[in-house]
Amino acid sequence: MSGGWGWRGGNGLGSGPAEVFGNARLSRFDFCIIGSGAGGASAAHVLCAAGHSVLVLEAGHNPFPGIDRRGPLRSTLHGNDELKYGMRSYLDPQGLLDPRTYRQLDDAEAAVHPDVNALPKAVGGAWQHADCKTPRFAVADFELRSRIEALIGATPGLAVPGFGSDAGSANFADWPISYSELEPFYVEAERLYGVQGAEDNPFQSWRSEPYPMPPGVPMYLGRLLAEGAEQTEFFGEPLHPHAFPASITSRFYEGRPPCVDCGFCAGFGCPNNAKGSPAVTTLRSALLSGRCQLRANAAAVELVNDGGHVSAVRYADGDGAIQEVAADAFLLAASAIESARLCWLSATPDGDALGNGSGQVGRNLMFHHQTLVNGFVPQRIHGQRGRAVSHGISDFRGFEPGGEAIRVFTEGGAKRVRLGGIIEFGGSQGLPIEQDGMVMAFSLPRGTVPRFGLGFKNALRDGALTQHLLALIMQGEDAPQLGNRVDLDPSVRDVHGVPVPRVTYRPHNYEIGARRFYVPYMKQILANAGADRIFTAPCETLLGDPPTSRHVMGTLRMGSDPATSVVGPDGRFHDVDNLYACDGSVFPTSGGWNPTLTIFANALRVAHGLAG
Amino acid sequence: MKAGLTRRTFLQATTASAVAAAANLRCRPRPAFFSESEFETLGALCDRIIPPDGDPGALELGAPVYIERLLTAFDQDVPFLFAGGPFSGRHPFPDYRTGTPSRVFPTDQFRWPAPPSPIQERFWRAEIFGSVESGLPPHLDAQAGGPRRGLRDVYREGLAAVDAAALAQGGRRFVELDEMERDDLLAQLAGPDGLPVDPVRDRSFLDLVIQHTLEGCFSAPEYGGNRAGEGWRMIGLEGDSQPLGYSLFSEPDAEYRERPDHPMSTPNPDEVAPDGSLAPRPLTPEGDQVQVTISFFAQIVERFVPGACT
Repeated sequence: MSGGWGWRGGNGLGSGPAEVFGNARLSRFDFCIIGSGAGGASAAHVLCAAGHSVLVLEAGHNPFPGIDRRGPLRSTLHGNDELKYGMRSYLDPQGLLDPRTYRQLDDAEAAVHPDVNALPKAVGGAWQHADCKTPRFAVADFELRSRIEALIGATPGLAVPGFGSDAGSANFADWPISYSELEPFYVEAERLYGVQGAEDNPFQSWRSEPYPMPPGVPMYLGRLLAEGAEQTEFFGEPLHPHAFPASITSRFYEGRPPCVDCGFCAGFGCPNNAKGSPAVTTLRSALLSGRCQLRANAAAVELVNDGGHVSAVRYADGDGAIQEVAADAFLLAASAIESARLCWLSATPDGDALGNGSGQVGRNLMFHHQTLVNGFVPQRIHGQRGRAVSHGISDFRGFEPGGEAIRVFTEGGAKRVRLGGIIEFGGSQGLPIEQDGMVMAFSLPRGTVPRFGLGFKNALRDGALTQHLLALIMQGEDAPQLGNRVDLDPSVRDVHGVPVPRVTYRPHNYEIGARRFYVPYMKQILANAGADRIFTAPCETLLGDPPTSRHVMGTLRMGSDPATSVVGPDGRFHDVDNLYACDGSVFPTSGGWNPTLTIFANALRVAHGLAG
Repeated sequence: MKAGLTRRTFLQATTASAVAAAANLRCRPRPAFFSESEFETLGALCDRIIPPDGDPGALELGAPVYIERLLTAFDQDVPFLFAGGPFSGRHPFPDYRTGTPSRVFPTDQFRWPAPPSPIQERFWRAEIFGSVESGLPPHLDAQAGGPRRGLRDVYREGLAAVDAAALAQGGRRFVELDEMERDDLLAQLAGPDGLPVDPVRDRSFLDLVIQHTLEGCFSAPEYGGNRAGEGWRMIGLEGDSQPLGYSLFSEPDAEYRERPDHPMSTPNPDEVAPDGSLAPRPLTPEGDQVQVTISFFAQIVERFVPGACT
């Protein structure tokens, strides 16, 4: 056995420590983008198209060999393979080498936790493992604070957690941009990433262009739940199920074939590139421009700076050796936790985190508060066929139709607002190892169900979990809080010896209240869909664990005021003249919608501003 | 419409290949890790976790071969930790002119591993050979609660411990016990006074064998188990389905067609009665118990943490 840093010598892999894609001859860069996912690839696409030279650093490996070659899109290394993704983490980081620590309260000691909302590390980022749901935020999301404060002022007796007299418990802010300003970039994002959808959601805000593609084939489980929702009364009206927009092809689209509904969608890479992963859309177009160089297995560890300007980035390559590369400007797009970590790792001459004049770096960390209500049906719902989710409802976001106004409910004479989120209609995905076997063998209390033997085999053959579970998942808005934050753990280090992110997070009454309000209606939908044994899955944050939403936002808040935000409306750090952020870290609020389309749109907006 | 395969027809269709597979068990591919007697014990152990009945058990499905392939993943130039992609060759391309399956099959690219990244390779070397032996920086071990013992050592010692327990009780090795005795011993080893739990992995040896048996029965056959996909067929799954999938796009009329045997938007044909009403196949008592337990478990959690499950 070889040991230490020489471990990789002579194993015949041939790829070496530095995997370089695109134009390998480039050595001078106008921009260096850290992260090749949703934000970084969108920015690279715009900047390269405008004639700039761009270096993209990606901490993970490349499952898309050949994306930098002209001609038809080559095949990927992704496959319909439960073991590869679910059990062996082909895309997710390994906690042993890449740990994070978690605690709920400031005075508690943070502990290494196996999964602090870890997102995939690979070329193209986390979107390749998602089921690519792309709702837009609504008009009211961008002005949530002022609209709710106005409502409180105008409505006697209206109290909202985190607002009015309780405003100090949270840190809500309006976005410095409006829906109207972002709308053209939503259109561009939907076109670039190839979104399917239907204009059948009454709660969606106005659109200037139709969806590029119609929805694909509905899933059986989605149809069951849509029927259940239509039979569910909510304040005098039936609920409004709609097709769930997704950046998944339903037609031949820009060299990619229509989705075949293979079912290995949420948690898996797409074998036929029907998913609009940045790797096969925007990042590819940047690489083909001749002005982009992508370095994979390159984990940024420090921005070399004088406090107001960044001159270079240091990264650990595949061998763990530290490399340094200069550029004129830098864009952070490593996702909210890693982008904030990099600011903390890049101390200014006076010892603070880079860009932290406001004291807000790392703060206002948000995940969506996911509420899962489940039930079992007698028939097999074969969720292994489909796109994981084909339908949903937006009634529980708590807005009026059109998404322009916040809905005021009258409950027993009292006025209330109830801001939850979009609901995905999901269920069993037909994954026998993870969803049946591992749950029976390890997740349930010992002695309650068989862990081996014929009884175990019987339950596996029944597909007790992998075939009969209907699930509603609400992407509840998560209140921004100053205390919910990312900084560096004082003692824990990653494989490169670099301090790891320490996440401090606990939920707010804002999202807990919305959860409690909507759960009974969610149960009613399931009952109306024919489900039995209905239950709400334990809420991980209430049990003391980190959220597992994979929706990570905040930490580098965007705002106009340098005293209360980290980056300006143009994405540039208030304190640093050539550093920008263009991932989910800049979100002032989390909305009640899957966030990635908004990351795409905002990154496109920031990059167009930079491209000149 | 009754176009779907029932469990019985699955069985009939697979009997021939199952017999052939059982005959093949003796010629296991090199390089091997286990001795013949270790391999026998492992096979007997896997086969009590998922025992044979009308459907094959874990031994026949190839779970021990799967486990040995995992432990010898680094014997190849490119370690076989992740099957390649995108297709297995088990399903044809769709014919977009008609919205039906074509007769053209891709080659099996799952057979060629997708290379692990440097970080992934370091993790898996630590997992298989041990963190100390593979030269992982010691601070990682300290943070993880101690050094990670290599799976190769864990298996070698674990199998010896199983045989030792069998010998201690009746003077016979595990493979010399009859089925009922094996099950009794397994229950004992799984109990509180059984095999110790490794705190770093939070797994006992038996736990690991359960996990790896599941993996070996239901992962893609290219990993060495799930012989000819019989593990999937046994539980009514199709496994991988690309590039065909379930929704077949027809270009001339710009519409999708569904596969009558594996519909997307309607119930499985074998669960629909002739009059069109649903005729679900009832669960076994154990499957039923799993659902009841999960549903009830949420109520228990709610009792201890009010609000967590409401």
